[in-house]
Amino acid sequence: MVNPTVKTNPAHSMEALARSAVDEAMSRGADAADARIVRCAEERLVIQNGALKESDAPEDFGIAVRVFKDGAIGFAAAPGPYPAMQNAVSGLVRRCLASARDLAPLRRVPVRLAGRADACGEYATPVEEDPFTVSLEEKLDLLMRASERLGGRREIVSRLAGMSLRREEQWMATSDGGSTHQVLVRSGGRIEAIARARGVVERRSYPNALEGDFRSGGFEVVRALDLEGNAERVRDEAIALCHADVCPPGQRTLILGGGQLALQIHESVGHPTELDRVLGEERDLAGGSFAAATDPGSLEYGSECVSFVADSTVAGGLDTRGWDDDGVPSGRFDLVRDGRLRAFQSGRVSAGRAGAESSRSVSRAEGWYAPPIDRITNVSLAPGHGSLDELLADTEDGAILADTIKTWSIDQERRNFQFTCEVGWEIRGGRRSRLLRLPTYQGSTLDFWKRCDRVAGPEEWRLWGVVNCGKGNPMQIAEMSHGAAPARFRGVQFVDVGSKLS
Amino acid sequence: MALLEEDHAFEIADAVLAASEADETEVAIHCVEDRFVRFGHEGPTQSADRERYDLAVRVRFRDGGGFREAKASSGSLDEASVLDALGRAEILARVASPDPGAVPLDGAVEVEGTAPSRPTQDHSFKEKAEWIEAALRRCESEGLHGGGLARTTVASRSLINSAGRRVHGATSRAEFALTCADGGADAETVGGSASSASVRCFVDQVDVEGVIEDAVTSAVRARDPEDVEASPMDVLLEPQAVAALMTFTSGMGFGARGFHEGSSFLTGRVGERLFAEGISISDDPTHPDLRGLRFDGEGTPRGAHALVSSGTAHGPVTDASWAHQLGLPNTGHSQAQPSTDGPSAGHLVVAEGDLSREELLERLGDGLLVRQLHYVNVVEPRELVLTGMTRGGVFRVKDGVVGGAIGNLRFTQSLVEALGAVDGVGDRATRVGSLMGGELVAPSLLIRGFQFTSKARS
Repeated sequence: MVNPTVKTNPAHSMEALARSAVDEAMSRGADAADARIVRCAEERLVIQNGALKESDAPEDFGIAVRVFKDGAIGFAAAPGPYPAMQNAVSGLVRRCLASARDLAPLRRVPVRLAGRADACGEYATPVEEDPFTVSLEEKLDLLMRASERLGGRREIVSRLAGMSLRREEQWMATSDGGSTHQVLVRSGGRIEAIARARGVVERRSYPNALEGDFRSGGFEVVRALDLEGNAERVRDEAIALCHADVCPPGQRTLILGGGQLALQIHESVGHPTELDRVLGEERDLAGGSFAAATDPGSLEYGSECVSFVADSTVAGGLDTRGWDDDGVPSGRFDLVRDGRLRAFQSGRVSAGRAGAESSRSVSRAEGWYAPPIDRITNVSLAPGHGSLDELLADTEDGAILADTIKTWSIDQERRNFQFTCEVGWEIRGGRRSRLLRLPTYQGSTLDFWKRCDRVAGPEEWRLWGVVNCGKGNPMQIAEMSHGAAPARFRGVQFVDVGSKLS
Repeated sequence: MALLEEDHAFEIADAVLAASEADETEVAIHCVEDRFVRFGHEGPTQSADRERYDLAVRVRFRDGGGFREAKASSGSLDEASVLDALGRAEILARVASPDPGAVPLDGAVEVEGTAPSRPTQDHSFKEKAEWIEAALRRCESEGLHGGGLARTTVASRSLINSAGRRVHGATSRAEFALTCADGGADAETVGGSASSASVRCFVDQVDVEGVIEDAVTSAVRARDPEDVEASPMDVLLEPQAVAALMTFTSGMGFGARGFHEGSSFLTGRVGERLFAEGISISDDPTHPDLRGLRFDGEGTPRGAHALVSSGTAHGPVTDASWAHQLGLPNTGHSQAQPSTDGPSAGHLVVAEGDLSREELLERLGDGLLVRQLHYVNVVEPRELVLTGMTRGGVFRVKDGVVGGAIGNLRFTQSLVEALGAVDGVGDRATRVGSLMGGELVAPSLLIRGFQFTSKARS
């Protein structure tokens, strides 16, 4: 085992160091300031084709100081260890203030912070089994057993089983008197099989594509995934996809599985409702939003069976924590209720710019090295009723059930999207029938959500973790979860991705 | 400041090597100094003055014909932190299952040293503020909302291993990027918008005035776009748009892993004429617009490497392990090891042709001029079927003359087919990046029958 908690300096020293940075900034003339000390430890294990190919234990530790001066923001950051950070504090404060002074004349409208950041306290992710105390032998055995079950068929050209475990500890002090300490733990993993047959190469993943699936929590999260128990199904589906027809084009009913819906929610609900995008401050890279600042309360976002809740307190969420990186307590609020847009996701800076009294606690930074920006929190589609089997039984012949993201693309204002799933099934007689590859659907966000006429019930609802959300310029990576149960959409356009691939 | 001199980096790395109990040890130290200001139309929104380190220790214990291997890294360079990273790596490696395909570390090599640019390293926030103020004023004069990035970065990388390899180099990068658009939620759908960027190796090469003028005049011209139905059309893609497509060839196209698994367009087609005769592609960290490190993630020397010559594809790029597995030469395209992704061509250069912009437009005749492609992603890897959106100005071309703007369109297009349908290559290549990462050097390309499949606003 590689336990990152062993050599942590006493927490009170970190709190004192963060406080000293804030005090020095204020004494040197800042209008407001905060300091964050962040220490991250991770363990990544990946078995590829039966051999341990990645076995990595990175650690990162540093301090960031942010000042607000004359309507501008300055930010400076430096790496640890503790004595280096202690020596760096005065220089960081000076550099922050100098850059804020240089940039203040450019501000057409001064930065205004909404609300206060005066919270004090401790938060720790509930963990049943500390992932860093589980033996490495046990972790590797778990992955190796899954990897072996992915193999055994000549069509499989690549098989992979991996897990990633991370612990992030953060101390934060603010000039409003806030002082917080939180320890966030997340765990997860994946398996993946790539098959080749008939000149076709197809991938199948579990529990989700890309990095897999993650939740806040300890090693119990990895055990619950049952990678070994799903490996043979994943292998067989990868092979079967090589022999499957390409999903035909045309307009049909679509039922999306929860994993794919999580990505759909992320791209077409999460990002368009980030307030900094709405205000045009992400325009230079990722783009803006079709939603206008005045839309909450009036914009019809979807059908009446569509409600989205933003919740940084939900159990197991990857953005479930005590406070955001502005020092504002976590919370839960309606983004969309019964199809109508209710609110945007905001941090103190964007909320202040929009004239709001308080933020929605979504301001987050990637580690200590980056300044906080508005990020999607845990945004979930509220469950409806009934099981997936009932939903399938209630759906006409020729509809498509699709799941697990393969590729995704959405325009710069989050309207036009096109997503391809790993797997699809034609529905016949109220059940899955013919397997289809490359199911590719295209739509426009508001129109798509208005086509939703049924969402499955709480028994099908679960959180799906996203660990690779890129935003900002320079780009930062953040994590969040999206809860969803399978949902049905009427009259969706399926795209011809190339008849030559059939 | 953060960058380590070669001697200092080697001293730290040697201490790790001396303390290692492993049969083979590799130490890589990466240092970055970065200053940026991001801005919107109301002024700077984020900035950072920051530095960071990453020391990665890779250890290997022999086991049968292979190695037990693991890596650990530290963001701090003090003795206790780096030795702790070594300890974590050794713990992991001792319990790792052996990799029978692992090959021994390679030894001493000669690589050309590269140094950071001092003016780039020293470029101040005050100087960046001057760039930004000029951009905002020009945007405001046209009633546009401007936003973008002013950034200077220097980085160094040092790698030593127990087989005697010792390499060190540094890179510099400076960028000024401007996106301007009419305000409001529909800014890029019903209004005018355009982006321009200058990404150079040295700060004094950044063409701030050119970026501002290009973005502003293009955004003004892009106003009042005409609504056009999606259909296959002939296009002239400017370098930014070409980069958004070509970046997907780096790993899954030219990399040995995809080649071996059969998901690459190269599989079974090496030596074939895959693309139009005007298409030649190389991977070249020595290109004056890229000036990358002269060694890869394993410290293997690298230089200009031909990937496609006059439309004919050569073999995949490799690293030590994939070269051994496939019986091919090591081309020096390793990522930091260990990696499951396989080798990648990270310094792509699409060769210039001989047609001026005017000649390209004349040859295009009737079609579209596309400045930028957005959020491009892979639908199918074997034919590299890509989907994405146009962005930042799409203009009708009639009889070789650029006319009014049209609304943004989605495309779903095989890149293999598109490069086979190239009917003209521009005579000026430039360094450009894309949303999905990576930077390369590319000229404009004239492509026949580009598959547009839907429009932004339906």
